Amino acid sequence: MQLEFIHKPSGHCENGVVSNLLRFYGKEVSEAMVFGLGSGLFFAHMPFIKLHGMAVTSFRPYPGEIFARVVKLLNVKMKKYKFRDRDKAMERLDEVLLTGTPVGMLVGVYHLPYFPKEYRFHFNAHNICVIGKEGDIYTVSDPVVVDKCTLSSDELKVVRFASGTYPPRGRMYHITDASGIHQPNGEAIRRAILRNCSRMIHIPLPMFGVDGIRYLAGRMRKWEKKMGSKRAALNLAQVIRMNEEIGTGGAGFRFIYAAFLQEAAAVMNQPSLRDFSAQMTAAGDMWRDFSYNAARMFKKRDGDLMTYNILAEKLERIADKEESIFRGLEKLMKNAR
Amino acid sequence: MKIKDVPQDGKILTNSEVRDVCYAVDENGDYKQVISVGWDPKNEAIDYAWETIAEECEEIKKEVIAGNASPLAYHIHRLVMTPDILASYSGFSKREIKRWCKAKHFAKMSPGELQRIADALRIEVNKLVSID
Repeated sequence: MQLEFIHKPSGHCENGVVSNLLRFYGKEVSEAMVFGLGSGLFFAHMPFIKLHGMAVTSFRPYPGEIFARVVKLLNVKMKKYKFRDRDKAMERLDEVLLTGTPVGMLVGVYHLPYFPKEYRFHFNAHNICVIGKEGDIYTVSDPVVVDKCTLSSDELKVVRFASGTYPPRGRMYHITDASGIHQPNGEAIRRAILRNCSRMIHIPLPMFGVDGIRYLAGRMRKWEKKMGSKRAALNLAQVIRMNEEIGTGGAGFRFIYAAFLQEAAAVMNQPSLRDFSAQMTAAGDMWRDFSYNAARMFKKRDGDLMTYNILAEKLERIADKEESIFRGLEKLMKNAR
Repeated sequence: MKIKDVPQDGKILTNSEVRDVCYAVDENGDYKQVISVGWDPKNEAIDYAWETIAEECEEIKKEVIAGNASPLAYHIHRLVMTPDILASYSGFSKREIKRWCKAKHFAKMSPGELQRIADALRIEVNKLVSID
């Protein structure tokens, strides 16, 4: 059994699955629009959460948050499941699939056979969509894979019940009623942008938003002294990976968000949003420049003068840039009604 | 980023079907999706992380040969597992797994226990007991 499902690859898995699912029900909402409506742009540097023994740096909100926001703003009726029993989780999937419904689900990437082995880390918040089954083989639409791919039921069971941080526990979801879904309108976009502004500039803690970027810069200046050059370089490598990881669309989602602002300019008939989009692109280019120079730190050749201080300064300039963008956006959106 | 500047530094993704969808602007300043096969700074960051893991594995190997650590400790590290996650996949407790990371306790593991651990790591038992 195969559903008539159009698979389009996307930058980020969460937006990609939502966008692909909506298309199945005849609603064309781009990935960038999903990301923007979900207020998906973020920054956090959290020394109190560790991944592979290092502080976690994140360029997006907690997994599932974009999803939840979009579903609410577009009035999508969803049913969500979570399971304790593995076999029940697979049975329920088959039942729903047989009714002709594509099923989105959370999986861990560590055991995903079609991922390159270099990506085998315990990341458990990857989204895929199951769109068919022949015998024991499921057809899968994975947004980071160019074409549709397949997983055996054993493979699917393992990844649905991956262990580690934030285990997926067989979580799955599907649309139950598509009739009430509306196209993104100006008011939804306005609210989503305002929410994103508030998350970037108004969280009164130093680890989040533009302050978080400055916080990372401050800590970075002390890395080498505190933990030696080896450990410092590893921490830096982790920041680059989070920034440029598959699924970010480049530069820690900054380019996807710029694409969203461009679409928003058209929907809201608000040409100045296009200028903000161009500025966001510039911020993205600054992040790229940061990553490029940071990579010089761990293949250090003689005579290379790159230092953590220079990198930290780059981060501080990015923080200033993004702060001015979001202050401007907030002002524009508050007056847009 | 302009479309012509989207990097195509194939390395890690080349032999897989996984690709990186990037967003870049065309000559009119409009955003388009461009499929990329990778970017050197990111490839290098990932390589660096794996090189470090490999170096740490060599250190653990020395400990195994010296008779302190067990091959299990080596395999856990090589497969970027943690005692915690392996406990959850295998059904043993974290404490048991940590004990078996020491050579003297590892030597007392039963064939059944070895099999369960090997299955959870998805390797063969004869691989689990060696460090080759």
